[in-house]
Amino acid sequence: MEKVLEVKGLGKQYVKGVYASRDVTFDIKKGEIFALIGPNGAGKTTTIRTIATLLKTTEGDALVSGHSILTEPEKVRECITYLPDEAGAYKNMTGRAYLEFMASIYAKDGQDVIDYVNRGVEICELGERLNDKISSYSRGMTRKLLLARAIMPKPDLAILDEPTSGLDILNALEIRRTIKKLAADGMSFLLSSHNMLEIEFVSDRVGIIAKGMLLETGTPEELVAKYEARNLEEVFEKVVKIREVL
Amino acid sequence: MKFFSLFKKELRDMLNAQTILTMVGIVAMLVIIGNIFSDSISESAKKSGDIVICDMDGTDFTKSVIKALKEDCEANDGSLEEVEIKSEDYAKELKRIDQKQVLIIPKGFTELAKEKHQTAKIRFVQRMTSLAMMSNLNTGSSTAFETFKNAVKNTIYQDKLAEDKMTPEEVKQLEDPVELEEITVVGNKQEEISSSVIMSICATQNMIVPIILFVLIMFASQMILNAISTEKIDKTLETLLSAPISRMTVLAAKTLSAAVVALLQAACFMFGSSRMMSGMTSGIGVDSDKFDQALKNLGLSLSAGQYVLVGVQMFLSILIALSIAMILGVLAKDAKSAQTLLMPITISTMIPYCLSMVSDISALPIALRAVVYAIPFSHTFMATENAMFQNTAVYIGGLIYQAVFLAVCIKIALSIFMSDKIFTMSIGGKKDKKKKKA
Ligand SMILES: Nc1ncnc2c1ncn2[C@@H]1O[C@H](COP(=O)(O)OP(=O)(O)O)[C@@H](O)[C@H]1O
Ligand SMILES: [Mg+2]
Repeated sequence: MEKVLEVKGLGKQYVKGVYASRDVTFDIKKGEIFALIGPNGAGKTTTIRTIATLLKTTEGDALVSGHSILTEPEKVRECITYLPDEAGAYKNMTGRAYLEFMASIYAKDGQDVIDYVNRGVEICELGERLNDKISSYSRGMTRKLLLARAIMPKPDLAILDEPTSGLDILNALEIRRTIKKLAADGMSFLLSSHNMLEIEFVSDRVGIIAKGMLLETGTPEELVAKYEARNLEEVFEKVVKIREVL
Repeated sequence: MKFFSLFKKELRDMLNAQTILTMVGIVAMLVIIGNIFSDSISESAKKSGDIVICDMDGTDFTKSVIKALKEDCEANDGSLEEVEIKSEDYAKELKRIDQKQVLIIPKGFTELAKEKHQTAKIRFVQRMTSLAMMSNLNTGSSTAFETFKNAVKNTIYQDKLAEDKMTPEEVKQLEDPVELEEITVVGNKQEEISSSVIMSICATQNMIVPIILFVLIMFASQMILNAISTEKIDKTLETLLSAPISRMTVLAAKTLSAAVVALLQAACFMFGSSRMMSGMTSGIGVDSDKFDQALKNLGLSLSAGQYVLVGVQMFLSILIALSIAMILGVLAKDAKSAQTLLMPITISTMIPYCLSMVSDISALPIALRAVVYAIPFSHTFMATENAMFQNTAVYIGGLIYQAVFLAVCIKIALSIFMSDKIFTMSIGGKKDKKKKKA
């Protein structure tokens, strides 16, 4: 199957000699949901930011729909959307104005803007509240708006950093459902989460990351079977012990 | 199209209710200040200063006038000094006697005033070294002239009262016994015009450059700093920069809208301050039109070329302020620190702005002058004066300094924007250090 993302030996040092991520290699196929899981400070955000062309890599490369993040970052940005961890939106805009503004940044023409906004309105399910200022939104509402923004341009790859962190169960469930549905339509996802139990339900494959290193990749079922564990949390515990990284 | 929608968004952010209210408030304030000043200036113009006098006539009459003048001065906490002027090359003479101004009683004064009962002339010569208000204000000719006029009146009255007789011509003469002929020296040139008149006209013209500059620097840098720091604080910057839009486009849209709004504000200030100045000059009482030619002859009005020189300096200063504000905006961790970060720009604009309003920067003590010259904005605040008084070396030096300063600032700003630093840098850095240890 067609590969949307190919990460090859990606490494990043914020400070010389200290690896925040190191030799990270994995790929994501079309329509696949891949999740990076690991504790806080493991290097998930660092890896994601380098793929989103926000940070420069120290080593390695990644190809998004065949475009290298090193040599064609502009092309890469046309194929992805990125929802940062704890991201905000422009507070003094209304939800609809925000969607319109972001749509105009991603769109190639006026028709695109209309299509994107319509899709965004549908996904965020905010109804009339879209006409209110974002500063009046709850955390869950803002997150849903941001998710809608990330998904509305139908990118090849949507990169969502901790998409459900800090949300209540119902909101989190809704967001996971939306992701699943869009993946079924052929969109690919790169997620990250420190909540390993939650991620089992949504992702097709996971990558276990600790101390900047990607230790294991596979479907949750494969990994649970391989390490004779009951869930991904136990898998993580065993992987870390065997690889002696913590 | 991407640039345009970003530009529109920035413009809407920057032109919010608060900025508009500030603009209106400031214009109102300037007009009020103008009215207050108008009162206090006409008040201070009445106060007598020190008088330097040269008696070319040397008669008993002039001697008793000077005696009366001296009493008058001392009664008003001033002093009177008698000097000798040897030629009509006043530029040279003023330098020789080391004075800024002198009141001259010409030969034949007594003959006209006392014997022929006609209006006699006296001369007031003043050297101008700066257009700053306070460096000339205390030496106004009208003060010296009024004091002198009173002294002449007193002396004639006393003489007549002693003789106990007065003709109708004498009474008429007493209404207007002397007429002032003023000469102002600039560089090597002299013109028959009062320096206080030049001052008030030039002040109106020349205050406009510093005010526009001050407003442009302060507001443009505040706006660009806010535009960048709020994106960082509200965590919208990462989203924006991961979108298919180049970082240069983002920067350009923000810079341009900051410049546009700052220009708008400068226009408001221009309006407000011209109202303030007209309030001030009405306190002095000046008729402006007929002095234009004299100003040109003295080299006190800017030529087209000199306007270009001043414009270049202004442009450099604004670019410097914008690039520094960009760097500071990236450093901000929260809204409060963003405000604190504006301080260096505020202070380094306030210092030359205030100094250029109040006194002649090139006359400051050397240590202070070094500090002022080190602030890149100072050179623009001094540009008009440097161009007028032809301090070419200082002007060129300032220009080179600013250009180098700007190049360094832009290089730093771009290196931050085009690299990881835009996300990883922040002031204080305690949080980062802890993370590194972990
Ligand atoms: N701006 C930064 N400067 C220096 N080190 C950083 C910076 N950001 C993150 N790190 C370090 O990189 C490592 C990985 O962090 P991160 O990718 O944010 O982890 P995660 O997203 O998995 O919680 C951590 O050890 C963190 O301290
Ligand atoms: Mg993270």
